[in-house]
Amino acid sequence: MRFVESPRMLAAACVAGLGLALSMAATAQQIDYDSARPAALRKCDEPLHRGRVEDARACLRPLLRDAAPVIRAEAAWALGDLRNANEFFREAAAAEPRATRPRVRWGRMYLDASQHADAAKLFQEALNIDKGDRGARLAMARLMAEQFDGDVMDQVALLQSEDPGQVETHLVAARVSIERGELDAAVRSAQRALTLAEQQKLPPVEAQTLLAAIEVVRNRDPGQWTRAVLAYNPRYGTLFERLAHFEVIRRRYKEADVWLKRAVAVQPDLWSAQRELGLNMMRLGQMTEARAPLVAAYEGDPFNTTTVNTLRLLDSLAQFEIIDTPAPALKLMLNKSESGPLRPYVEKLAQESMALFSKRYGYTPEGPVGVEIYPNHDDFAVRIAGLPGIGLLGVTFGDLVAMDSPSGRKSGDFHWGSTLWHEMAHVYTLGATRHRVPRWLSEGLSVFEEWTTGPTPGVSIGPNVIDTFAAGKFLPIAKLDDGFMRPSYEGQVQMAYMQAGLMCLFADQRWGFAKLAQFLRAFNDDAMTTATAVRTAFGVSEEQFDREFTEFMKLRFQAYLTDPKRWANQMQRAHTMLEARNFPAARDAAQATVMMLPEFTSEGSAYEVLAAAEEGLNNTAGAIAALTAWRKAGGWDPAGLRKLGALLLAAKRDADAAEVLAAVNYADPLTVDGHDQLGALLLAQRKGPEALREYQVLLALQPLDTAAANYGLARAYRLTGDAAEARRRLLEALDTAPNYRPAQKLLLEMTGDRTP
Amino acid sequence: MKPGMTARRIACIAMGLLGAASARAATQVLVVAGLGGETQYEERFTQWSQTMAGAAITATGNKDTVVRLAGEAATREAITRELARITRELAAGDQFMLMLVGHGSFDGNEYRLNLPGPDITGSELLALLEKMPAGVPQLIVNGTSSSGAVAEKWTRANRVIITATRSGGERNATRFAGYWAEAMTQDAADRDKDGAVTAQEAYDYATRKVADAFKADAALLTEHAKLTGSEPGRFVVARLGAAALFASDPELIALRRQQGGIESRLAGLKPLKTDLPREEYYNRIEPVLVELAKLGEKVDARLAALGVKSGGGNAVR
Repeated sequence: MRFVESPRMLAAACVAGLGLALSMAATAQQIDYDSARPAALRKCDEPLHRGRVEDARACLRPLLRDAAPVIRAEAAWALGDLRNANEFFREAAAAEPRATRPRVRWGRMYLDASQHADAAKLFQEALNIDKGDRGARLAMARLMAEQFDGDVMDQVALLQSEDPGQVETHLVAARVSIERGELDAAVRSAQRALTLAEQQKLPPVEAQTLLAAIEVVRNRDPGQWTRAVLAYNPRYGTLFERLAHFEVIRRRYKEADVWLKRAVAVQPDLWSAQRELGLNMMRLGQMTEARAPLVAAYEGDPFNTTTVNTLRLLDSLAQFEIIDTPAPALKLMLNKSESGPLRPYVEKLAQESMALFSKRYGYTPEGPVGVEIYPNHDDFAVRIAGLPGIGLLGVTFGDLVAMDSPSGRKSGDFHWGSTLWHEMAHVYTLGATRHRVPRWLSEGLSVFEEWTTGPTPGVSIGPNVIDTFAAGKFLPIAKLDDGFMRPSYEGQVQMAYMQAGLMCLFADQRWGFAKLAQFLRAFNDDAMTTATAVRTAFGVSEEQFDREFTEFMKLRFQAYLTDPKRWANQMQRAHTMLEARNFPAARDAAQATVMMLPEFTSEGSAYEVLAAAEEGLNNTAGAIAALTAWRKAGGWDPAGLRKLGALLLAAKRDADAAEVLAAVNYADPLTVDGHDQLGALLLAQRKGPEALREYQVLLALQPLDTAAANYGLARAYRLTGDAAEARRRLLEALDTAPNYRPAQKLLLEMTGDRTP
Repeated sequence: MKPGMTARRIACIAMGLLGAASARAATQVLVVAGLGGETQYEERFTQWSQTMAGAAITATGNKDTVVRLAGEAATREAITRELARITRELAAGDQFMLMLVGHGSFDGNEYRLNLPGPDITGSELLALLEKMPAGVPQLIVNGTSSSGAVAEKWTRANRVIITATRSGGERNATRFAGYWAEAMTQDAADRDKDGAVTAQEAYDYATRKVADAFKADAALLTEHAKLTGSEPGRFVVARLGAAALFASDPELIALRRQQGGIESRLAGLKPLKTDLPREEYYNRIEPVLVELAKLGEKVDARLAALGVKSGGGNAVR
């Protein structure tokens, strides 16, 4: 997965709208463990929790006429009538402006409907009334846990100390512990929750579900617990939906598919499970099959934003072209409006990555690898999360990669080639470990591959990464997953990516790539932990690894770490001097800045200033050297590459220019300008197939100057030995521009070829 | 060949070129760069207007019929004076081209071009244009913001109006004029490679470039250029390379006449493209194209004799 913008976007993406989005349908209502639960409701708990639907309904319906709006609200909610429940809760809150419970329960209803922002507002409202309210604090903790938003364990521990008998605090603790991989702690919390539930005659199913989940995460049979849950409530589909959740967050989509099918089998009207089944089928590339459960989810819950968005996306797939390639097999899904110009580059790069990663990781996917590219970012976001507004560039679901198209973003905003390379690395690291690789390692290897083997080789990182390291905010290797799963400060997810990449870089340099690959493969063992894998593959303890990594960082970034302020000052001076056209001073400051942190290649880098200063001093060779160094360090901005290409052409270094201009295609392939020039350079180098690709792409981009494009294509076909197609293209060029002299000359040459 | 052109039309153009040389028909051109307000706009407007005026000289072959008003010189009074002079000098068979660059505005009733001193309004400009001889074809290129406000008001027979925006409501500083100027110097704008960039070709080039630029910025298109009037292809706004020599060298004029004859035959075959299988169509046009190519060799030889190196199309460098 590749991020852009803030990791908090993930949380924001979970906001599905306002109250009106609440559906009329049943959701998986969380069990209310609150001892203050009104007695009127308790009498219906037994049939409700046991899955005796008709008995529960018969018990609940009379409560819809209860005098207390909060009772009516709870009854309507339990009956699946969320719209009325919403109105009743509103009434209850208005009637008791200083009461916390109606607001907490109201928020819980939003939480169940995955409308997290609305839930948070209501919990906060309750906390504003009484900041110590345990119900509100617990609800907020549960919300944070569901959103993977920061560390909630301190809050949970506090709640446990205040009320050791509260079942739900132990459930939240168990859930968070599972997600952190702290399974022994998770067992203790879930067991405690189970004991308390039994003692308080509350339903044990949530605790048992978590115990089943722990077995699943330990790759063991959860049968003991699933049988117990179903014995208590045979219609408790949430059990399997939850097991699927823990498979999905570990990216084990095939396994999740099995659980989700069981969820809808035991509880067909569990619309959230129907929806998740459809979404998961899409993760598995089963786009056609996904429609049925999504339609079922829609029919039961027509107002769910994720379901509606996803069905709309499925409807729009007619605008895409499916392309099956020869081995290494790809199944490309490209929008018809851009498949012509994009396909050659996507196919080439993806296949190069497959050939390389197969060797490096000793794994070959069984079937074709799917690559879906979305020109509309919101379509991509819906594809991966059901909702627009996700700050991601690409996502890998096993053998399927989905990502943004370069057309969906401003030129220079992202390097689609690196994104594809990154995601393709995931295909192999996931596949090589049967999806058992820890998140941090899969991301770290993808970043490492970007830096070392991708289309923009170079360890490109900014000073903020080094500053974070210097501030002691890098995580120990055994805890690095927390940086991805539960960021505790703004920007930590991006830092976790960089740290993971740097750790892989360190391991590669310290022990060699063979050991790094061995480290990855160690996770094929179901019981493997990061600490054990470090010992097995590298022969050191995790503490030793962390110590050596720290030394590696200090050494590599010594020049910057010695005086970060000087770097910032020199950078500022370089820009100021350039603006003042004091080129010698700008050059000196830029050189000093580059020396201190050559890894910084982003917009405004010292390399750019250096190149501009050298140009200002009429030193073309110096400008070329600066931009070449920038590129070698990982710089890829299309404007910078085009500038370098132009300088190389001016210096009559055509072969170098062609290589640089070809690299532009992996950043900005859909701009008409440049393909003609590159095609001509490739023709001059007698690289027929490459030139053919450029002119084919140019024509696919529907240029105004079709005569020139067809003429180039004719020459490329002729170079590749296809005289018939060369003639067709040439005559097409002359049909548009009869007096086009270069084409006329080629025509005479070619007709001369045919004349004995 | 321009898309959609008939053989008759091509012959007319060929004759027109020759006529321009022999009957002293003139194309009068006025380029106006309005007030920029900021340095970056002042520089842009100056540069664009210089390119347009320079291209107009290559198109007309006569620097005396091209006037550029920019900076402090681009006043309402100066524009009025120059248009009055041009009106006096225009004769039957002449053409007139007006190109406006700068910031325009529209208050719901009246368009204004921002100038040093008093602005000039759309109504005032129209009144001056209306005084020109009715038979003289006019090309008006208004590349300013809000320029779409004048498109309909200025419409009349024999006048082609190109505006950078489709309405007065498109108020952002435009990019169109910059790409229009760029078209004057680019082989890519000369789609039929005849060495002449027509108003239609320049318009197509500039609108495509504007769309591409906004797309590259992932920004909403805030300007939609508009072309009203017929036969914009009759206005040559720039000649590339040595094409201008075709209007002055007798041998090249003769060769051009022969080219025109062959092009007419090609144009006669054009309708078959949709009816015949593609290969059959290619077989029909190939011998004619070979004939034209051989004539091209003679053109090259003549150009070489004149000391000019041959290059792309008639755009010989």
